[in-house]
Amino acid sequence: MNVREALSVVRSVVNDLFVVATRELRTVIRTPALVALAGVYLVSILAVAWAGTGGSGGFIPLTLDLLTFTEVLIPLLALAFGYRSILDDRLTGELDMLRTFDVSRIAYIGGVYLGRAIVLVGLVVVSLFAAGLLVPVLTADQPTFFAQNQAADSGIRFVRFVVFAAGFALVTLAVALAVSAVTRTLRTAFALATTLAAAFVVGIDTTLIAGLASGVLPSESVPLLLAASPNSAFRGLVLAEAVGAIGGAAVNAGSTPLNVVGLLGWWVLALAVAMWRVWPTVVLETTVSADAHET
Amino acid sequence: MALLTPTGTRWLSGILTVVLLVSMFSFVLTPVGGKELRPVPFEDTVDAGGTSVDIQRSLQEGFIIPQAEVFYSNYRYVVGYYGVRMAAAELADPGTERQFGTPLAVYVSDFSTVTPTLTDEGFIIPESGRAVGWVAADRAMYVIDSEAHIPSGPAVMPFSDRTDAEQFAETYGGDVVGWKTLQSRVDTPLEHRLARFDEMTASYQTWANQTVASSRGLLERPRSFTVGEDAPNVSAAIAAAPPNTTVYVPPGQYETTELVVTKPLTIVGAGNETVIRGDGTGSVVHVRADNVAIHNLRVAGVGDIGSRSPERANQSVNWDTNIQLAYGYGDAAVVLDGSNNSVVSNVHIKTASSGIIVRESNRSVIDNVTVDGAPTPNEGFMGAILIDGRSIVQDSTFRDGRDGIYTHRADGSVIRYNRMEGGRYGVHEMYTSRTLVTRNDARDTQTGIIVMGRPTENIVIHNAVRDSVIGIVSAGGNSLYANNTIVHNRDGLRVTGDQNIFMDNVIVSNDVGIKTNEILPANWVLRNDVVGNAKSVDSQLGPLRTWTYRGIGNYWGPLPLPDRDDDGVYDRAYEPTGTVDSRLGTTSGGTTLAQSPAAATLRRVRDVVSGLRQSGVIDTAPRTVPFHPQRLADLNMNATAGTTT
Repeated sequence: MNVREALSVVRSVVNDLFVVATRELRTVIRTPALVALAGVYLVSILAVAWAGTGGSGGFIPLTLDLLTFTEVLIPLLALAFGYRSILDDRLTGELDMLRTFDVSRIAYIGGVYLGRAIVLVGLVVVSLFAAGLLVPVLTADQPTFFAQNQAADSGIRFVRFVVFAAGFALVTLAVALAVSAVTRTLRTAFALATTLAAAFVVGIDTTLIAGLASGVLPSESVPLLLAASPNSAFRGLVLAEAVGAIGGAAVNAGSTPLNVVGLLGWWVLALAVAMWRVWPTVVLETTVSADAHET
Repeated sequence: MALLTPTGTRWLSGILTVVLLVSMFSFVLTPVGGKELRPVPFEDTVDAGGTSVDIQRSLQEGFIIPQAEVFYSNYRYVVGYYGVRMAAAELADPGTERQFGTPLAVYVSDFSTVTPTLTDEGFIIPESGRAVGWVAADRAMYVIDSEAHIPSGPAVMPFSDRTDAEQFAETYGGDVVGWKTLQSRVDTPLEHRLARFDEMTASYQTWANQTVASSRGLLERPRSFTVGEDAPNVSAAIAAAPPNTTVYVPPGQYETTELVVTKPLTIVGAGNETVIRGDGTGSVVHVRADNVAIHNLRVAGVGDIGSRSPERANQSVNWDTNIQLAYGYGDAAVVLDGSNNSVVSNVHIKTASSGIIVRESNRSVIDNVTVDGAPTPNEGFMGAILIDGRSIVQDSTFRDGRDGIYTHRADGSVIRYNRMEGGRYGVHEMYTSRTLVTRNDARDTQTGIIVMGRPTENIVIHNAVRDSVIGIVSAGGNSLYANNTIVHNRDGLRVTGDQNIFMDNVIVSNDVGIKTNEILPANWVLRNDVVGNAKSVDSQLGPLRTWTYRGIGNYWGPLPLPDRDDDGVYDRAYEPTGTVDSRLGTTSGGTTLAQSPAAATLRRVRDVVSGLRQSGVIDTAPRTVPFHPQRLADLNMNATAGTTT
């Protein structure tokens, strides 16, 4: 294969990927439940900004107000947006139909991921930026004739928070896709998605605390174990890089590089699992319903 | 769906990618940190400390008040402190870090840039034509306990150059210390301040008791003249009486034009039956000698001019003279004018303007005087005016008129056991520092007790204000407002100023218990019982304040919150200004709302970076039982008795 051929392969994969992504976008928009979910999320985030005392103070307190809500809601949102994506195609037979067009794994998984990610990340970014825009509105009555302490608060830190939230959404969506790729029935997919959501939001951290309490885990392992949990890695990154010093003391939020590696690890692993499990590596030309063999 | 084509999707993902990439620049940009912070013009800071007298005089007389500027990690403005000691004290207080975060940068005046000299009063004069610079606090050397002063007290002098500091100390005395040593020597813990206020209170009471006792000695003078027997009228008797004797004024009406007393005399009447009546213009009795007593009589027929202030303040004379002219030269029943050790006692005054004006008369006593003023504040003037001298007003009653007692630079005065009814302000302290205002009772006023002009070290304790528009206002600093009872007012207590202590007050049945709107909250509020107010606290300006000191908060009434360890403190913080907390126990469903995960999640972080949050008040140790159950019970009894009678 020469360079020209390779390029044309890439071009065709990318074309396929965007075709699939477009189809995913249409699916999301035609699913009233997902549209409603997006609406509820947007309203919730804005309501938190309004109800808390942070939004009417500054960006750093707003970040602190929003942190727990985003940490809980983003995995739920991502799993809701992703857990049926591949499974539905499989169950309706569309996956097999697509395979007859010789769509590559990368194009298919990439397309599904991109299509869903556009909606999910768009939603996360738009809602958080909208919440951030409330800050200048809600603080409009604060006196401006005094010299401002530029180091006290900063929009830059809030933008960092939004970037972390978008990254966290991308990672959890990848996990949702992996769930969708490895399961063969809706029931299993739902159970697995719920399990993972519970583990991310509560389970991993409580296990870590239990381990520390019982003495099984040494204190030195905390930064590493935190990085292994997507939620803790996200939380640590926000506290360290977006919030900075709280109440005087440095936040001591764990290791930023480890947390980045942790999140990237989950992302790569989840997408790899999705690609690996979306259909069998050995193409079975004759067997149309391969599903029975794979579970 | 026309947009949803593969091309549309390319665009969408492209836009989103660009947004995220641009957002990622936030990691390249470093938010401003401590090293980049530079001093700003002092007038642009949120300032604290420094009395108005200090500031006005420094502007007028050209001396310098050493200053400091602090940039806190969690406070949006630059804070300016008058006085380096003030800044050091604030920075050493544990509450400061909780409220404003860490100091990212601290700058102090640098007197190495000028060669300072001191005036006779110890005021700091810079080399002509040179401006005082700034130096980072931890790089400066400080001269403490030298002769350097500002009007309100001693001044700490910072120098960037140790040699300059040593040279200054050599000339003007004092020790040269570093920033750490200076911080360790400031009078910061609340306990120290309270002990100092206790000492002050005791010594003031002793001084007042002794002064009153010796003033009573004036009443023992031998009688030399009896009006009507030895002299035809009061002014003839006063003219003829030898010094240090008593002129007796028997029952009767005595028409006079302005009586002037220019020698130490005692003028005694027979009580309410003796009436000295002016001609309705000007003042009635004008005292211009030390050791004069006016006792046991009535004064009426006072002129109706409260203030002879020129239409516009005279720009050519200084601010102080303008105030003196405006307040000290109206008509009054009695004027003590440079008459030290004088006393006005058992006197009943009916006046359309002022009752008693005391100008530059130290150790003067107003004792058991009743002043009936004009029916409205606009028509009348002050019951007693104290200007430029240390006086005592006690056991007196001031009804209607404008203010009961007005002070201007009457530092050190004692105002105790008085009663004010109606009028504008009960006690109105302007530019007056180091006073003791205790056990006064004000009712039906516009403001019971008001302290203005940023004075310092005032003690306002054990007073009661009822049925007024505003109870107590505290626009000064470094003062104590304690054990006051504030009932049935529109606004009970106004927490303002800086480094004031508000404790052990009982604030009951007001429309708003406490109002607080300082941009820079730097006061201690603890051990108060705030009960049964339509709204406990109102706060619209400034950040979230914490009203707890070392685990001691306030009592906000019974709250539906747990206290599992039974230590008398609810298990969680209470935010009397909070949307949810303020409805606890008052709005049906308030508790259910407070238990919601959303409310609980927001509650968890609400006092983190409080210096950057929406205005409000939080108490991290709300009490389950009142601090002063007996005083609350007494109030309830009174309320019950009031309704049945």
